[in-house]
Amino acid sequence: MKELLIVEHLKKTFKLSKKQQKLEQNKIKVKTAVDDLSFKAYQGEIYGLLGPNGAGKTTTLRILSTLIKPDSGDAFIDGISVVDNPTEIRKNIGFLTSELKLEDFFTPNYLFDYFASLHNVEPEVILERKNKLFQKFGIEEFKEVKVSDLSTGMKQKVSLVISIAHDPKIVIFDEPTNGLDIITAKTVTDFLVELRDLGKTIILSTHIFSLVEKLCDRVGIIINGKMILDDTLSNITKNDSIENVFFKLYEEQGGVLI
Amino acid sequence: MRNMITIIKKELRRFFTDKRMLMSLILPGLMIFVMYSFMGDIMSSTLSVDEDYTYQVVIYNLPDELPNNAYFSILYDDDVEIQPIGDRDDKQIRDLITNKELDLLIVFEENFFNKVSNYDSSSGLPAPTIEVFYNSTKNESTTLFSTLNLVINEYEGSLINKLDLNPPKIDPNGNLGYPYDLSSDESKSIQFIVMLIPFLLITFLYTGAMSISIESIAGEKERGTIATLLSTPVKRSEIAIGKIVALSTVSLVSAGSSFIGLMLSIPKLTQSSELSLDFYGIETYLLLLIVLISTILVFVVLISIVSAFSKSTKEASSFASIFMIVNMLIGITSLTGNVNTNTAAYFIPIYNSVQSISSILSLDFNALNFIITILVNFTIVSIGVFVLSKMFDNEKIMFNK
Repeated sequence: MKELLIVEHLKKTFKLSKKQQKLEQNKIKVKTAVDDLSFKAYQGEIYGLLGPNGAGKTTTLRILSTLIKPDSGDAFIDGISVVDNPTEIRKNIGFLTSELKLEDFFTPNYLFDYFASLHNVEPEVILERKNKLFQKFGIEEFKEVKVSDLSTGMKQKVSLVISIAHDPKIVIFDEPTNGLDIITAKTVTDFLVELRDLGKTIILSTHIFSLVEKLCDRVGIIINGKMILDDTLSNITKNDSIENVFFKLYEEQGGVLI
Repeated sequence: MRNMITIIKKELRRFFTDKRMLMSLILPGLMIFVMYSFMGDIMSSTLSVDEDYTYQVVIYNLPDELPNNAYFSILYDDDVEIQPIGDRDDKQIRDLITNKELDLLIVFEENFFNKVSNYDSSSGLPAPTIEVFYNSTKNESTTLFSTLNLVINEYEGSLINKLDLNPPKIDPNGNLGYPYDLSSDESKSIQFIVMLIPFLLITFLYTGAMSISIESIAGEKERGTIATLLSTPVKRSEIAIGKIVALSTVSLVSAGSSFIGLMLSIPKLTQSSELSLDFYGIETYLLLLIVLISTILVFVVLISIVSAFSKSTKEASSFASIFMIVNMLIGITSLTGNVNTNTAAYFIPIYNSVQSISSILSLDFNALNFIITILVNFTIVSIGVFVLSKMFDNEKIMFNK
């Protein structure tokens, strides 16, 4: 299989404000969010970054989607560096996070066209792709409804569809089922499987074990910004459940379970 | 370029197809028209006296010579009624003025005209007096008092009569007037416009740009929609230029609406039928439009940078309000009605726009100062676009929640 994503020794630190230091209850001025992180993802697989809150999952995905730059290290998508050529990377990725929101005033129809044109997709291709995706996700009948009037689940579906309007090679999803009802969550997970079957590479972050077991081909466990374990799901769960493996590693890293 | 146009179209669509947004653009102009017209009407009704009104006057020691004295003829006009004192005492009459039932009480010294004609100013004795009691809170009382005051001063001047400065003259229609101010109606109108319009225009431009730009940039940051845009392959400079062009267009419409509202309300505000704008040709409006466009671009760039730097719309509004005060202080410089002719002054941003607008409206156009203003403004806009592009690429600024 082709190595579509190669992450090499990523490191990212953030300066903490006095307010943040108070919240963290320490006087450390710099926090290391991602520490020497390396992994690979292959074409046509779902790679899951599993870790507790604050482990560095979102920061890693943000670096991969070029929203932020690493302090050191690099990542390559189909051979293109996220550090040296972010514009080219953006053409090849679809990025979705709970922080990415759609403007309330516009309709799904308009927003799909808007973002697809910003990715330089031809109008006839936009129309064809939009019809297909809107039908699949049940957006068709809501396509002229303003985003402000859509349900949370429908908003998530619209965001998801818009993030792949340009048919990217890699789809990066930060907590893809967060805040979704069980029906919408299933639609999203089914769609991710379909995308994989179409040969897309999917990188997702989550702290939900069942989602990892259901979707992922390969898993990276991140604790305190470090990659603790990076292997196929089948290898990781050969002798134990993913949940037990994770908590064993978590305790080994000094994590405390209350 | 294509992406820039897509962004411009989307921003314009947001403002021009949303009824609430559209109303917020047009409403200021409508409000200004209604408010200023209303203010003009109120001021007019407060200061003017009804045509059918009859002034009520009581005179103590009414001199026999008074009806024959031309200076005091106004007291014998049809709209003035001299009431007999009757059995009312002094306090009762004064109370009538206090209660706004009487307009004036005029007290002549006994044998007033005799004493005046015999009075020698070198004697050192006190001069004969006239006391006029009135009510400053009653418009009719104040109006008659002012006229009488003028008349008495003229009468006093005629007694000395060693010289007359600008004596009143009778025009061909038989009206008394003072035809010594040789300024034209046009220059009077221009003077008024130059004093008022540049300040208001600059204020309208800024307030229009402020609400729109903050909503578009800080609002997008706050709602998290800016990150969606930043994850596309569009160049940051294209996003910056696209937003600035669209926001400037919308701000210009907002300022235009306020400007039209203001211009339409000026005749009502000033209650003057002589105020006209006929002397402004198409070239005046074109030059004005160029200055306004360059100024609004400066404002939008400035507020966009402030908005991009801020964590929320609230914070952006606080920062932008500080600039608004500075902006208004600069705008106030136009209230003198004079245009600064010093070329160096046109290198100062915003001040140059105020002076250029004054210069254009006063029909005292200076091409060099105008060109400097435009060049300085566009230089600032270029630097601003560069800074904004860099800010869009800066994770600490864009994700500083």
